[in-house]
Amino acid sequence: MASYILRRLLALIPVWLGATILVFLIMHLAPGDPALIMLGPKATAESLARLRHEMGLDQPLPVQYIRWLGKVLHGDLGRSIQLKRDVAELLRTRIVATGLLTLAAGLLATGAGVAMGIVAAVRQYSLWDRGTMVLALVGYAIPVFFLGLVLQIGFGYRWPILPVSGMNSPGQSGWGDLLWHLILPALTLATGAIALIARMTRSSMLEVIRQDYIRTARAKGLKERTVVYKHALRNALIPVITVVGLQVGYLLGGAVLVEMVFSWPGIGLLMVNAILARDFPVVQGAVLVVATAYVLTNLLVDVLYSLADPRIRY
Amino acid sequence: MTKKKRGLASLAMGALATALILSGCGAASSGQTQGQVPGMKTIVVGLQAEPVTLDPHQVTDYNTSRTVDPMFERLVEFKDESTELEPGLAESWDISPDGLVYTFHLRQGVKFHDGTDFNAEAVKFSIDRQIDANHPYHDTGDFAYAEFTFGYVKEVRVVDPYTVEIELKEPYAPFLSNLAMHSASIVSPAAVQKYGRQFSQHPVGTGPFRFADWKSGVEVVLEKNPDWWKGQAKIDRLVFRPVIEDQARLTELESGSLDFIVNIPPDELARIGASSSYTVLRQPGMHVWYLIFNAQKPPFDKKEVRQAVNYAINKEAIVHDLLQDTGVVAKGPLPPVVWGSTDDVKPYPYDPQKAKELLAQAGYSDGFEVTFWVPESGSGMQQPKAMAAAIQSDLRKVGIQLNIQTFEWGTYLDKVLGNPADLPEVFEMSWMGDNGDPDNFLYILLSGDQWPPAGFNMGYYKNDQVDELLRQAQRLSDRGQREALYQQALKLLVEDAPWAWIDHETQIVAMKSSIKGFKLHPTGVFRFQNVDLQTP
Repeated sequence: MASYILRRLLALIPVWLGATILVFLIMHLAPGDPALIMLGPKATAESLARLRHEMGLDQPLPVQYIRWLGKVLHGDLGRSIQLKRDVAELLRTRIVATGLLTLAAGLLATGAGVAMGIVAAVRQYSLWDRGTMVLALVGYAIPVFFLGLVLQIGFGYRWPILPVSGMNSPGQSGWGDLLWHLILPALTLATGAIALIARMTRSSMLEVIRQDYIRTARAKGLKERTVVYKHALRNALIPVITVVGLQVGYLLGGAVLVEMVFSWPGIGLLMVNAILARDFPVVQGAVLVVATAYVLTNLLVDVLYSLADPRIRY
Repeated sequence: MTKKKRGLASLAMGALATALILSGCGAASSGQTQGQVPGMKTIVVGLQAEPVTLDPHQVTDYNTSRTVDPMFERLVEFKDESTELEPGLAESWDISPDGLVYTFHLRQGVKFHDGTDFNAEAVKFSIDRQIDANHPYHDTGDFAYAEFTFGYVKEVRVVDPYTVEIELKEPYAPFLSNLAMHSASIVSPAAVQKYGRQFSQHPVGTGPFRFADWKSGVEVVLEKNPDWWKGQAKIDRLVFRPVIEDQARLTELESGSLDFIVNIPPDELARIGASSSYTVLRQPGMHVWYLIFNAQKPPFDKKEVRQAVNYAINKEAIVHDLLQDTGVVAKGPLPPVVWGSTDDVKPYPYDPQKAKELLAQAGYSDGFEVTFWVPESGSGMQQPKAMAAAIQSDLRKVGIQLNIQTFEWGTYLDKVLGNPADLPEVFEMSWMGDNGDPDNFLYILLSGDQWPPAGFNMGYYKNDQVDELLRQAQRLSDRGQREALYQQALKLLVEDAPWAWIDHETQIVAMKSSIKGFKLHPTGVFRFQNVDLQTP
């Protein structure tokens, strides 16, 4: 197991290289000059040239990339062109925000999705089953940004009970206030994943429940509760865990949109602004973080397999 | 069966509990969404984005200028609601008869927020830091406006602790107005020396508010300067928060967590304005939105064709129906709020028939087809794509086929300021004034001396008569004489139609009615020093 985890961690290196080279190329091949965007059209040619030189933007692309990589290896993610701050410092505060949002959405999606799926499966073709599945279909189909705006109008304006933007009320920094602000963004982000996980759990449960050993378990006179949770659920969860793992990628991607709609000060928001401003160091740094998060969660999912199913060994 | 039901119910409860844990002690804190701290008068402003810097010398956008402005002052200031000048940190000034030397007599007893003295050295430091490449603190920022503001400055001299002389390379009348811009803010030399590049996160000025806190992506908090030389501000704290979505910002105003917002969705303006809980303020801004004709390429090298386009576009319909009256129809390149503007110019009412006649005169009775560049968004561009579509449809009616090409703003800027040979026949642009001087519009945007990269005459238009008038107006210091020259130039320009000018955007803000005494300023900054909060 330990050597497996180590091997997977080593695999991060090509992922990092691949992701950053790809993003580096896309960013630099797209037209747009960060110096011009930052200083605006009123800057002089000299000040533009000076800024490009300071940022190393006047160097050939491979040189720029290798310089950046060299610095990263020394733990220096560089400075933001636009915000003039260290990228690491910018990312540090933002990681927490995005982490919270994704974690909350992930927990909500898994909890609600699995619960809805189980109930739907156990009561197949009931009103509850059909209702849940229709909801799931709608939830999966509705675009994240649209749902976000609808929830904002609903709970921020029509029934003004929830805050609709930011992470804290002005001048406040308590956890209670933060969680209060987290409800709508987390719900918005989780909706699509809840739907998918519910559908997956339902079909997986249905498959398992029809198997012989479940009939045996029931025939032994086990409580229905034990049958469902102990015998059926555990086996049914394996494909669900895969889906949950894949959803992390979806959540990280969706977080960009949710952060825009709710002005949630996370990495996604930082990245969108950085892309528009051609702020290369920030985009690169954010990509590193997101790629790492994605790989690590997938690793976690693989480790969870062996917990859910003792037959799986690495 | 009952057991089964209970089992399922507890499972569902478990899921619900997960959701409730996430929502945490929400109910308990529901009453705390207000930004008010007991005993403190706070105004929370919702901006479109967070500032990129808090160093006034590095300001290039509205979100930044609005956050920075309350902390800093300049030698001269714009009066409330106008771009006329009044004394600021300078009590008075003299200009030498040749227009080359400006002598400023500084206010005494003014202190920076860090307790150091404001004096002539601080003035010299604030200017030299930006324009002198050998200055020890020149590398503490990127000064986009340095050349624009101080390009004519030859030398800044400290005469005595409270007298400073600025000598220009040549007479340049708009210079005094430049000194009221953000780039001319006086910063604390001690703070720049202490923080270096980090000054952009630790700003120190002399203004009515001082810096308290900046949580990246969350908020910038300013508090009143208890030692301000004009007397304390009436409110205690100013908080600037970025709320990116226009609709979300409005919702936050209505739910009470913001007190003051910008960019209200036009569809909602009437509703908000009708409510007694909110005040909506409007003021025509120092802005113009226009189509630039490429004067170097047919067909727009002909005056008749340029005039024809001005007749063919239904500007009223664009402003009223599309922009929902968030602007006023432009009659020329100069916004009416800027002095020197005149209504006594050739009018271009919507007249497609007249447009067709002019096109026929120019030899284009069958019309023509040209490329039209449009940005997807951009500072001051209002609704660039929708406006382009309206213009396209208007011009199709007179036989002109516009082929629209859209670009993302960063790309767009790169292309329109790039190689002139690659420019299309026509493209969109907008301009927001910096110092309230007509020179800032007419000379920079339309003089033959200002072809890129020197300036922003991006259509490469040239009219010798206009050029001479604009140059002459720069050298005179008498305001009346200058005004006459600008009006003369304006008449010639409107007749010659180097652009199709569409509108001047109106500044619109909405705030709680409890905010009293707020006035909009043409430069777009928000002045809160005389504002009070009416407690219910």
